[in-house]
Amino acid sequence: KDKSSASKDSTPGGAAERQEDGAETPKQKLLDVIGGMKVEVSYRKKLQQLKSSENKNQAMNKLEGPDSEGSVPQGITEDIQRGKPLDPELVKAASAVASSLPHNKKQTESELLAQLRRHEETTDKQKKGGTINIRNVLSEMTIKKQSPAQRGVRISGRISLQLDEDGQRLRREGSSAQSVDSRRYFLLSLKVGKRLNIFTKASTEPEHALKTVSSPTIWDLEFAKEVAAVTAQPPRNGFEEMIQWTKEGILWEFPIDNEVGMEDDAEFHEHIFLEKHLEGFPKEGPIRHFMELVICGLSKNPYLSVKQKVEHIEWFQNYFEEKKELLQEI
Amino acid sequence: PCPRQVRSYYVDWRMLRDVKRRKTAYEYADERLRINAIRKNSILPKELQEVADKEIAALPRDSCPARIRNRCVLTSRPRGVKRRWRLSRIVFRHFADHAQMSGVQRAMW
Repeated sequence: KDKSSASKDSTPGGAAERQEDGAETPKQKLLDVIGGMKVEVSYRKKLQQLKSSENKNQAMNKLEGPDSEGSVPQGITEDIQRGKPLDPELVKAASAVASSLPHNKKQTESELLAQLRRHEETTDKQKKGGTINIRNVLSEMTIKKQSPAQRGVRISGRISLQLDEDGQRLRREGSSAQSVDSRRYFLLSLKVGKRLNIFTKASTEPEHALKTVSSPTIWDLEFAKEVAAVTAQPPRNGFEEMIQWTKEGILWEFPIDNEVGMEDDAEFHEHIFLEKHLEGFPKEGPIRHFMELVICGLSKNPYLSVKQKVEHIEWFQNYFEEKKELLQEI
Repeated sequence: PCPRQVRSYYVDWRMLRDVKRRKTAYEYADERLRINAIRKNSILPKELQEVADKEIAALPRDSCPARIRNRCVLTSRPRGVKRRWRLSRIVFRHFADHAQMSGVQRAMW
């Protein structure tokens, strides 16, 4: 175990100088954990020599979540997303893991880095490209597709052009909508590719049109509210009712995302390594012992946010400061 | 225009008092947890623990979670309440027989 830890210290030794001070101690603790893990991995190798790729996956999971708490998977993706050219910390951790595994080190390292990059790509896609994928699906399903920007252009066009009474305006809107839709249907059937509105040219034109027409005056807002009230017909079937409820927030969005309200942006090491908050306490004595137990318990708690944990520790600090005179009598 | 019963009052005063107790218990939950952590300790000196005893006794009585009673949500019945549905047995039976409880069926085996 000493030899393995020494070898690990040599590989990130040169790199440790480049790292920030704050990241050093948790990083070294991680590496110690990996050093401890090496014994387990070699035992597994004896049992299952054929499943080398599975070992790598297990090692990756262990590396990224030694305590395997609920908020860790989010932490992983955030870690990876932070460094778009892969995080140097992660690269070094990958090299440490590769050196701890018994197989070909360079191969494992390159494969781990490739996996990390794949994770990055998928998480980036999911975060940014999610809506675009849905549009793809919808455009495949229905030919009559109206993007909201283009719809806004049409409505604003009608506002500026037609200033008749409400009834006449609505009738014209209906007819013009139908005609425009049919025209659009015809155009879409001719066009070969699907408009994704990813590139700036396609998207900036309707935006410019919107900017010139709509300015946030009270009259415009009121008119928008009137239009919404008129066009919001009562739901014709259960699906539309469910859509309405989802928009209002009565119904959850499916597939159910368990972490809707929770946005825990903190890394896992901020949850676990809470010793830096213990600086206000005396270094020896029963209070220190008590606070170390408190910190141990808090680090194992997956339900509190980092803020709440810090608030707990600060409350204890205040409490013990108030009772200082009492403590000094003892 | 609402198809269901509209209740704008709590069923009775006992239910209101229970609601108040739940609110204060929620507000003082953290403090109680921390003071109890000091009290139930074998490391800290006993004088500190006695002081903590007095402090927790000085908190409002309604902040104690033991005072909360899981009453029926519709009838405020204190006994015979099933936790999963927060309903008393009578109300539960009423709704289940009228097929208004999703997934609840009469047992037969």
